Amino acid sequence: MAKKILLIEDEEILLNLLDKKLQEAGYDVTVARDGQEGLETMKSSRPDLILLDIVMPKMGGFEVMEEMNKDEQLKKIPVVIVSNSGQPVEIDRAKALGAKDWLIKTEFDPQEVIEKVIKQIGK
Amino acid sequence: MPEDIKLKEKYQELQESFEDLQLYFEQFTTFLPIAVCSITPIGVIISINKFFQELTDYNEMEIVGRPVETLFLEKEQGKMLTREVIDGEVVEKELNLINKKGEKIPVTVSASLRKDKEENILGYFLAIIEIVRFKKFQEELEKRLKEKTKELEDRTKALENSRGGLLNILEDMEESKNKEEEEKNKTLAIITNFADGLLVFDEHSKLSLINSQAENFFNVTAKETCERSIPELIKFPNLSLLINLLIDVSQKEENKEDKKNDQSKFEIREIFRRELLIKDDLVLEVSSIPLLKDDKKTGALVVIHDITREKMIEVMKTEFVSLAAHQLRTPLSAIKWTLKILLDGDLGELNSEQRDFIEKTYKSNERMIDLINSLLDVARIEEGRYLYKPVLTEIEPIIQFVVNSYKDEVANKKINFEYLKPKEKMPKVLVDVEKIRLVIQNFIENAINYTPAGGQVTISLKHDKKEIELIIKDSGVGIPKDQQARVFTKFFRAANVMRLETTGTGLGLFISKNIVEAHQGRIWFESEEKKGTTFHFALPIKTEFDEFITGF
Repeated sequence: MAKKILLIEDEEILLNLLDKKLQEAGYDVTVARDGQEGLETMKSSRPDLILLDIVMPKMGGFEVMEEMNKDEQLKKIPVVIVSNSGQPVEIDRAKALGAKDWLIKTEFDPQEVIEKVIKQIGK
Repeated sequence: MPEDIKLKEKYQELQESFEDLQLYFEQFTTFLPIAVCSITPIGVIISINKFFQELTDYNEMEIVGRPVETLFLEKEQGKMLTREVIDGEVVEKELNLINKKGEKIPVTVSASLRKDKEENILGYFLAIIEIVRFKKFQEELEKRLKEKTKELEDRTKALENSRGGLLNILEDMEESKNKEEEEKNKTLAIITNFADGLLVFDEHSKLSLINSQAENFFNVTAKETCERSIPELIKFPNLSLLINLLIDVSQKEENKEDKKNDQSKFEIREIFRRELLIKDDLVLEVSSIPLLKDDKKTGALVVIHDITREKMIEVMKTEFVSLAAHQLRTPLSAIKWTLKILLDGDLGELNSEQRDFIEKTYKSNERMIDLINSLLDVARIEEGRYLYKPVLTEIEPIIQFVVNSYKDEVANKKINFEYLKPKEKMPKVLVDVEKIRLVIQNFIENAINYTPAGGQVTISLKHDKKEIELIIKDSGVGIPKDQQARVFTKFFRAANVMRLETTGTGLGLFISKNIVEAHQGRIWFESEEKKGTTFHFALPIKTEFDEFITGF
């Protein structure tokens, strides 16, 4: 069975591109367009990995992780941050909340994101 | 009684009285500062005084028994002198004395007749006064008198002056006392109205002054805190936060054991700009400076600056940078990713013309991303909190990493690119790896960009006891002399380079310099136009025990 990935991202173009790339790589992808939607989706779909943006409407990436940490089951899902920003303060905060990796969008391209995903959960 | 015995007795008597008289005369004339001689009625010198000897140079043996006119140039007048005196005239004459050496001395002589009780003439006394010497003596006397008078006058004047001086001093003292009073009042006014909180502790660490700002900060009054010792002050809840910062904790523990301890044992330590959170909306910055007099500590001055606003702005700025990064980068990453997918052929194969255009657009977009990143770095540098995570590490792998990432580029540009690895193991440095990597990247990129094909870029590393130095030498276009001073300023781009290539942000070296200096390092270069440039940067060698300086 294909590994399940939840993609939480509000930028439509990036969302579509990543969705396409991940599916081509053989993953089962679910998408959410803000933090709140993402949190609800993960409760029902139980993904193997979450790709999470930080700045989003309704609920940001940090709050999503804080909420996840309150739930014993959700806490176990690995999270990789895909963000536009990358200030050390932010990266540290995400790591403290349990994020596995932090990718800055302008410094990576979709192929490299796939490679990071493979590193976390395999093909 | 036989006659001759009587006569003998009389003679003896006379002899004695004569000797007495002689003695008297001698004593009397010796004392006189005038030359005097005694002369017989027939004009023969029979005795002289000491001063006479001095004046004439004759001693007694030489002159006694000789006629008086021997002494004078005017012999006739000399002879006449005796006659005139014996005749009872008052004689006073100006004559020329001839001394033993034959020198002529103008003198005044005066004579006075010598008689016994029975009015028998015994002869006369002759006083010889040297006119010149007398005049001199007189002048001397007058001069002396004048001097004395002058001295006296001067003394009086000086006395008057000093009296005036004393009055002046008193006046000055009064004035300076007033000035001091004024100064004190001014100082007090400054202290009281100072925007910063001020506390002054005396040599026993008792609070001796607290201004109104400090009263507000700690919610205490001067009345209840002044003249109180540290253990008493610590009972005020807000003030205790400050005291804990000022007093070494170990000291406090020590003193707790023996509460009767001398309070002066609480030493206020020197601190500089330490943050103190009183409550959420009050953040203070505390500095403590020892007050010294002749190298002896006489107390401490504590300055408290309200940095609540600065703290708030800092938070806002971080948020702004984050937001700006997001807003500016979001479309750029969308473009980047789309172009990348196109180039990767995920959306179908591109023909060569399409690929060429998209590749160029992709590169422009990358440059835009670089510019945004650099601008954000500058914003953070200006915020003063650019460096974040210093770690003790070796620099060699960082350089290797950057060097490796430029392999393809130098091969394409046909540049001879060399990294001379050090043979020995380099000491460690305390650095923010990401930032130092950025500095090395900037240097290498500049060297490659501004060195024409066939040129040489050499990277080498060396160290001494204090620092590690990285050297990046290129055989490129160089920096014009007149522009070298501005190399590290924001947005600097050399004129020759602008003609060569229009891209480049002009921020790389500004950022690099800030990064290196934040590591307490040094950065410099040598350059000659058309020959090349060598950039150096040196970082201090650190050990595990070195404390990291604030600013990170």
